[in-house]
Amino acid sequence: MTTSSSSSGPHQRRPSVETVDVSILREVARSSLVHALNSVNGAKTLVLDPSLAGPLSLVTEVSLLQQHGVDKMFWLEPGPLSAVTTNILYLCRPRIKWVKIISDQIKRHSSESQKHTYTLLLVPRTSTLMTRLLEEEGVLGDITISSYNLQFIPIADDVVSLENTEAFKEIWVDGDETSIFDSSQALHTLQKLFGLFPRIIGKGDFAGRLADLLARQTTQRTSADRESLLDISDKFDSLIVIDRRVDMITPLLTQLTYEGLIDEVIHIQNSHIEVPASLLNAPTNTSAASSASTPPAPALAQEKKRKHHLSASTDPIFAELRDLNFASVGKRLNKAARRLDEDYRARHQASVSQLRDFVGKLGGLQAEHRALQLHTGLSEIIMPITRSEIFNKSLEIQQNLLASYDIPGQLTALEDLIAQGADMQLVFRLVCLASITSGGIKSKTLEVIKKEVLQAYGYSHLPLLLSLAAPPLAILLPNPLPPSTPAAVAGAKYPYTSLRRSLRLLIDGNESLDELENDISYHSAVQCVAQKGGVLSNPAKSKEGVTEEDGKKGKLTLLGQTQAHPIIGFKGFEDVVESIAGRTFDITQKGVEVTNGASTALLPTSAGGRTTTTVVFFLGGCTYTEIAALRWAGRQTQGRNFLIATTGMVSGGSMIESISGVGGADVNLKEANL
Amino acid sequence: MADHPTASWQAMQNGNVFYRQQRLYTLDGKLPSLGDCIVAGCRNGGPLALMRDSTKIIAIGSATSTFAKSQIQVYSPSGEGLLLFGWDQAKIIRFGWTGDERLVVLNEEGVYRLYDLQGDYTQFSLGTDAGEVGITDARIHENGLVALTGSLQLLEVKGWEGGKSLTLANPNLSQPPAVWTLIPPDLTISRHVEVLLSVEASIVSVDNLEAVDQRLSRGPFTHLAPSPNGKSLALLTVTGLLWVVSTDFQRGLAEFDTTSVAGAEGLVRQVEWCGNDAILVTWDALVLLVGPFGDTLQYFYAGPTFAVTEVDGVRVIGPDTSDFIQKVPASSVSVFRPGSASPSAILFDAWENFNNRSPKADENIRSIKPDLAAAVDEVIDAAGQEWEPTWQRRLLSVRRKLGKSFLDLYNSTDFVNMGKTLKVLNAVRQFEVGIPITHFQYNYLSPTHLISRLTSRNLHLLALHISYFLSLSPDDVLKHWASAKITKSKPISSGTANDTDMTGDEEVSRAIVEKFEKLGGASVSYAEIAKKAWEVGRTRLATMLLDHEPRASDQVPLLLMMKEDRLALQKAVDSGDTDLVYHVLLQLYNRLPLGVFFRLIEDGGSSLAPASRLLQVYAREQNPEMLRDFYYSDDRRVESAVLCLEEARRMKATKVTSIKAAQKFFSEDKERSFEAKMMDEYSRLLAIQQTLEKETTDKIEFFGLSIDETIKKCLLMACPNALTSSSRNSKFWYLKLHALTATRDFEGLETFSRSKRSPIGYEAFVRHLVEKGHAKEAVSYVQRCDAHKRIDLYVECGEWVMAGKECKERGDRARLECLDQIASTMK
Repeated sequence: MTTSSSSSGPHQRRPSVETVDVSILREVARSSLVHALNSVNGAKTLVLDPSLAGPLSLVTEVSLLQQHGVDKMFWLEPGPLSAVTTNILYLCRPRIKWVKIISDQIKRHSSESQKHTYTLLLVPRTSTLMTRLLEEEGVLGDITISSYNLQFIPIADDVVSLENTEAFKEIWVDGDETSIFDSSQALHTLQKLFGLFPRIIGKGDFAGRLADLLARQTTQRTSADRESLLDISDKFDSLIVIDRRVDMITPLLTQLTYEGLIDEVIHIQNSHIEVPASLLNAPTNTSAASSASTPPAPALAQEKKRKHHLSASTDPIFAELRDLNFASVGKRLNKAARRLDEDYRARHQASVSQLRDFVGKLGGLQAEHRALQLHTGLSEIIMPITRSEIFNKSLEIQQNLLASYDIPGQLTALEDLIAQGADMQLVFRLVCLASITSGGIKSKTLEVIKKEVLQAYGYSHLPLLLSLAAPPLAILLPNPLPPSTPAAVAGAKYPYTSLRRSLRLLIDGNESLDELENDISYHSAVQCVAQKGGVLSNPAKSKEGVTEEDGKKGKLTLLGQTQAHPIIGFKGFEDVVESIAGRTFDITQKGVEVTNGASTALLPTSAGGRTTTTVVFFLGGCTYTEIAALRWAGRQTQGRNFLIATTGMVSGGSMIESISGVGGADVNLKEANL
Repeated sequence: MADHPTASWQAMQNGNVFYRQQRLYTLDGKLPSLGDCIVAGCRNGGPLALMRDSTKIIAIGSATSTFAKSQIQVYSPSGEGLLLFGWDQAKIIRFGWTGDERLVVLNEEGVYRLYDLQGDYTQFSLGTDAGEVGITDARIHENGLVALTGSLQLLEVKGWEGGKSLTLANPNLSQPPAVWTLIPPDLTISRHVEVLLSVEASIVSVDNLEAVDQRLSRGPFTHLAPSPNGKSLALLTVTGLLWVVSTDFQRGLAEFDTTSVAGAEGLVRQVEWCGNDAILVTWDALVLLVGPFGDTLQYFYAGPTFAVTEVDGVRVIGPDTSDFIQKVPASSVSVFRPGSASPSAILFDAWENFNNRSPKADENIRSIKPDLAAAVDEVIDAAGQEWEPTWQRRLLSVRRKLGKSFLDLYNSTDFVNMGKTLKVLNAVRQFEVGIPITHFQYNYLSPTHLISRLTSRNLHLLALHISYFLSLSPDDVLKHWASAKITKSKPISSGTANDTDMTGDEEVSRAIVEKFEKLGGASVSYAEIAKKAWEVGRTRLATMLLDHEPRASDQVPLLLMMKEDRLALQKAVDSGDTDLVYHVLLQLYNRLPLGVFFRLIEDGGSSLAPASRLLQVYAREQNPEMLRDFYYSDDRRVESAVLCLEEARRMKATKVTSIKAAQKFFSEDKERSFEAKMMDEYSRLLAIQQTLEKETTDKIEFFGLSIDETIKKCLLMACPNALTSSSRNSKFWYLKLHALTATRDFEGLETFSRSKRSPIGYEAFVRHLVEKGHAKEAVSYVQRCDAHKRIDLYVECGEWVMAGKECKERGDRARLECLDQIASTMK
């Protein structure tokens, strides 16, 4: 009640409430962590699931853990655990592999007759499975199980993420729908904080399942206890759920924005990147820059690498650069450098008061200086890669595929790439892209390519090829389909060519774009295609389609802007949306019989001039480019902000990697051999 | 008319503070003699539990029959018998009450039961270790207990859900403590329970981290009592000295010698707190209230008493009466204190004058006009403190008659609420109900708590009325009513013939559903009630009720219990909660024969597909054997093959066999001829690699590499091998180029490049060499590239001069200028 009433309170309804403040989510996560830690009295040893270290570091810092009694921290990994404290606290996701490790450690302790009290904190909730497995191992009696409900973590002002990078694979390859359920819980938490989404729109079978779960949860909770009745939110105008399968093209393309490229090349993990220490050399910069929160890793630091938290809130230069096309990053950096230089030069102005001003600004300048150094360094790392032959060839193939130009030729070029020893992930991305955009690859050619791939990268990748071809993913298909193909696969075929036409996904003549450097569409000249997501979703997203079209396409842009206010679902695009496989849904949620008449009237569009927020949830992960595009769309339209929610940040590479299940090991091996 | 409220007041501290003894109920000997019993009282006006104290000798008389066996009796505060049950387990060590009025009974084997007021119980244990050493004593608080084992260790149980008992720090006792007590976790700073043990002359305080000797010298003690707020501790020494200290033992707060009290005979029975600053010490017939400055008030009773500390006072149950002793609340003092000149007192006076039609009323009110609103509030509050409905009404009518007319703007919410609350309180204070709850306690505990206490006494109608009166949801009441109805109706319906059983079920089900729908409890969970029905053995009724349950997730556990496996799995899948699905799957896996289990899932078709996939996820990690059987039984050859491949990836030793198995599986599926062929190639490759390793006498590892990697390794290692005759020409060229570059064999590269015309062109040579940092060596290949690319390639190599020359040769002036420009900026 409190949340709903506060959000519908009249004072909140000022137009100045521009964005939904997601930092509250961080506070929630923090305080529930503190609560979980305090439930165990006294000093404790924390054993941490490595996949949680990143997400946790976005929420808290080591000192907070220490304040709440954490004495030592270890990774959860096989091998003995030597703890000096009585209390041992395991913090992990409910994965089967952890059970074995935990129970081994407990058994070892008891055989050495060490006495410890064990607590297992599961993220985000307790699990019958874990309980059962611990019971099978015979250690359930020794361990107290509870949960730490870590849900959405804000990774930028307008992006919240569950930071579960495995979600895509779990849903589309394993068929494990846990993350759908967890997502619905997390979205419900958002509703509890900010009110009900007046409308839920989406596309895709799993997205539909998520929406059903969410809607059901809302009605159930409401009836269960009247205290928690939710009002329709006056901040949100709708929730758009897109499942990743609906737009596989975007992640398969190489991301070309600055942040996207950093992800492609250096890999951004939970907003952290690993860079040579020399780029962050100022050892004094304790200011949030170095993530102190990486728990003491079993010393593995080969060559000096350090983790850095990429965050637009502490790094103004990054805020400026992140969504730019990489090609214009250099210019921007140059400008920033010059500005900085001028600012520094200000110190030569003699007057004492001016000097005092300068000294006052000095701290800021130095921070900026460091940031500049970092980004220059990063660009230097990325630059040679963007110049490499393989990179450019792959871009060329991507663009041609998107334009459906000479597909057999692209496949030949692809074979060449394999011969040149291109990265395995890249090859898989391109093959899948070819299959999706052209509605399947000719069986003969496909077999040749598969054979090449297996011979070049090892036969052990056969399961990966099978996974890519199997429903519900089915993104690597022969054409025509063999007669025995299950209907599910046949139905999942992607009508790319017609989509491209009806939604004008591709801009003609993108060379000309190079000149429009201030236009965001530039950054995604290639990606635009990608945003067929835009296609599917709705005005919000179709605007995005528009987005990429750039301003020249007058009439479409117009369309985008007139639609800015009402979210009208898929109106006008029904046919197109239907042509994509997967469920299309549009649910209107009703709040409780609203007490104050005012809020009934506020179907999102009314209340002129008020800015509402549209939440776009990517089930299965989203890319940095998509974020950039949505930001752009947000800037183009008055009165609407976008809040991006996702199960995790992905790139084509990380998706292929997680499906192949081998982790990066093989790849690294290869690189080493080169 | 009832006595004036002040009639029960007694002054302390020179008339600044008043205590009052409020008679709650007359008992008239309805209870057995408290002196012969062990008693446990539930706080907040809850019931009393009594058990015969077997250490005491009693005369055989008419009343003794009830004591013949080991049994516990529960009485309401008004002396009505609520429950009586026998005890056939090992010797009872201790019993006490939980916060929600359940009776905890702990025996010496470490087994404890939680009885509700209907006599139903759930049983838990402190663990086998505790059972072996035995429990010698325990202390029970509202949310847990601490037990003292035979080996003088302390075991703590948190909450009443049967959680595992935790061992507290070892107090290192050599003998059981003379007396001990605990401070509940919600009152300590650490938020964990703290135990205080009287050891010799000192006190040892123990929590789950450490045991600290507080180094006192006044002991040993005979009584310890922490105050209701947990901040102070009252100790009574063997010499009869009552001593109050803060619970951190840093400050002594007060001392009082109890031996000097007139009329105190025999041993001190109890030391209890009355509020947070007065202590109640009881002897057999005397109750002594000791104030903070050593002043005392005496109350006499006809026989042994029992005192129960409440948050705002103390209840004293004597042989004839049940009383409540408390410090008179500020608002009452302000209104009623003789000679009080507070605005509220004047207001009350004005009201009396008004009733007597005296003009002084107006005068009075004018004199307090500025404070009138506050005075009205105070009078309303005072009404809440009064026990007698007459006085409550009078005080409220002050506001009704005067407040409204003299105050222009007054928010009447408080007034209305107070009226409602008092109506509820008076109803439950009725002797038949017997919950003497004060206004303060009621606010402290919430109305819902009160309603659940009523339902646990089976007072459903009253509870329902109160729910409606306070506009609370009637769900809980209805739920409790329904389960009571099911239990109660059992003896009738489960009679002899089958027919009566059926009709009984239908009748009950109809009655329940009707009532629920009529009373707007549409959201009541039928699952809980169905469970109840199932527990009492009425499966049919359970099924009927379960049909009405809207929430799939609530149905599942019960369906499982009822062995409705298929339905349970289906509902779990529908709920989308994977954990629930696992719950069902694992349970079924353990219970059903494997074949039946698989069939169940396979027969489910697409609707159970998510369950099937979850099972695979689970089995892949935990139980590959099972997965193999599963795929096999379902003829899923591709999956079987993939499983073999996964195994091959993990286990090197059996790799070849696994691959062969995979190949076999693929070949059985005619759609998978490509995969089968690949597997065939794979095993041949592995064979070749094994030979290679043998040839190189195991110095070089080939096993498991891909074909390309193998070839490259051969090249790198300069193995003289037939592999070089690879058919895939361009690929081989790339590999050899990479390999030769890596070994810096530039001469070899040169020879190789001239061996025949390169199928990959020479640009690749240049680019690769440049990329690897061998720009110099790259230059010689530029000449062999296509003419129009040479300029760029020279630039790549850093050969500006050559690039310039090339321009000149081609007569490309524009290009030359451009180069010149770049070159000059570079310098």
